[in-house]
Amino acid sequence: MARDLGNVLIGVAVIVAAWWLTAEAMIHLRGAAFPTPPEAFVALWEALLGAELNNATVYAHTQSSLSRWGAGYLIALAFGLVAGMAFGTAPRLHDAGMVAVYILQMVPGLAWIPIAMLIFGLGEAATVFIIAMTAIPPIVINTAGGIREVPTVFTRVAQMSGREDSSVFLHVLLPAASLSIINGMRIGLANGWRVLIAAEMVVGVALGLGFSIYQSRYSLDFTAAFVAIMVICVIGLTIEKLLFVKMENKVRNRLGIDREDDT
Amino acid sequence: MIAELRNVSKVFADPRSGRGLVALNDVSLSIEEGEFLCLVGSSGCGKSTTLNLMAGFEAPSRGQMLFRGEEVSGPSPERGVVFQEPSLFPWMSVLQNVMFSLQDGGARKAVREERAMEQLRLVGLDSFAHARPNDLSGGMKQRVAIARTLAMEPEMLLMDEPFGSLDEQTRRKLDNEALSLWQRERKTVVFVTHNIDEALTLGTRVVLMSPSPGRIEREWHIDEAWPRDLSSPRMVSLRQEVVGMLQACPCANGAPRPSLLTLEED
Ligand SMILES: Nc1ncnc2c1ncn2[C@@H]1O[C@H](COP(=O)(O)OP(=O)(O)O)[C@@H](O)[C@H]1O
Ligand SMILES: [Mg+2]
Repeated sequence: MARDLGNVLIGVAVIVAAWWLTAEAMIHLRGAAFPTPPEAFVALWEALLGAELNNATVYAHTQSSLSRWGAGYLIALAFGLVAGMAFGTAPRLHDAGMVAVYILQMVPGLAWIPIAMLIFGLGEAATVFIIAMTAIPPIVINTAGGIREVPTVFTRVAQMSGREDSSVFLHVLLPAASLSIINGMRIGLANGWRVLIAAEMVVGVALGLGFSIYQSRYSLDFTAAFVAIMVICVIGLTIEKLLFVKMENKVRNRLGIDREDDT
Repeated sequence: MIAELRNVSKVFADPRSGRGLVALNDVSLSIEEGEFLCLVGSSGCGKSTTLNLMAGFEAPSRGQMLFRGEEVSGPSPERGVVFQEPSLFPWMSVLQNVMFSLQDGGARKAVREERAMEQLRLVGLDSFAHARPNDLSGGMKQRVAIARTLAMEPEMLLMDEPFGSLDEQTRRKLDNEALSLWQRERKTVVFVTHNIDEALTLGTRVVLMSPSPGRIEREWHIDEAWPRDLSSPRMVSLRQEVVGMLQACPCANGAPRPSLLTLEED
């Protein structure tokens, strides 16, 4: 645990150092108003104390981003898990349908903007749609793949003991595939979070961390953009490392596969 | 007679060429009630395929697979299988693995647990009931797998190289356990192995298969009592005969290559 913390500190230090060097270089070479880490951290501190960025507190921005992301992700989970389980258990469906999923996965986040706007117009629904569309493919792919890779011998054990298909699915396929399924859920979550900035270009309401970053192009308040970037990174990392790593370790442990030594 | 393969052929689609790959060609074999039948042969000659047909995991392409006079339509607890590869669910305890195979059929959980414990006791692993499979050695895992299959009270026990991945010493020990189990319960056993000594130590009958395409080459009835002495003149000459047959087969020396030919389905 102490080692992990050390690694996190090193990682942060590397990023901050690179950022600082870039900022100083740009200030001197181009005269650009590139926020330095101390300026940005001060602004972050002030924002956390309640100063407004782009006409709202950082809490209001964060809250609206989180709720859009949550909505998009829940939709992605519902679609992705159901589709993944269907593809995973029906080989014919898998062969016919997976190419479409891989194509969807290739569509870059920004490319969903015109599509979202054509379907939903400007507004909340378009944002949620974009988040969902980028989160769905990895969930489908990993769920289906995980189920398909369950060793035949496991299903045979269940079949010979007289289990119904539904019982084989519930008691054998799902647990055996759970690590892969969780992995897909994690990639989907990260995809959705990363696409927030793009997705919030089409929000109707002037709120959101991504919107804040985008808005700095017009307001020229680049320090505010850096505050938003930092908040996005911290939230993304926290959810990924704390929530998912914990969940994965727990599942690993339950599955009885290479138990973590340090838990 | 408990089970019978009647002119069974099995053709798989060869994943590369897309053509038919004949794993078994016109195999007929009767399995007698209570016998300990050992299926031997070089790898790729269709031993596992034969066992999978008996278990109901695969269906014949031609011919019939009969169990107690009726055509086998799928896997069933009456035909229990012990697999070569690790087959215990790593996310369940040893006890839960054994209980998993017990039909819920009205039996209360406590009753099923007691029955599972009884099976674990028979293989000497009751003290590991709450361990995870991955904490056990390879030999112990296979013992649990046997306990799990026996808990279903199958009428026929199908074992596919069950001790093939164990070290020699452990294999011998488990061979003896399997033998005493069979002597105690007199269940019909079909035991696949590529180890001729193992087959000669255990079987009341040894059936030799040969590849390209998979077929039955010859069989020997062995009425020697146990424990068998493989260095006795009779066993030595029997062993020479089996080894001779195995080497006479055209594919025994090179890599076994199943023939590629197409059987029309009828
Ligand atoms: N599901 C399958 N699909 C295609 N070919 C198979 C399949 N199962 C077995 N075979 C082929 O059938 C032949 C016999 O295999 P198998 O019964 O496993 O042999 P053995 O158990 O004697 O080593 C092999 O050539 C193998 O590659
Ligand atoms: Mg085999």
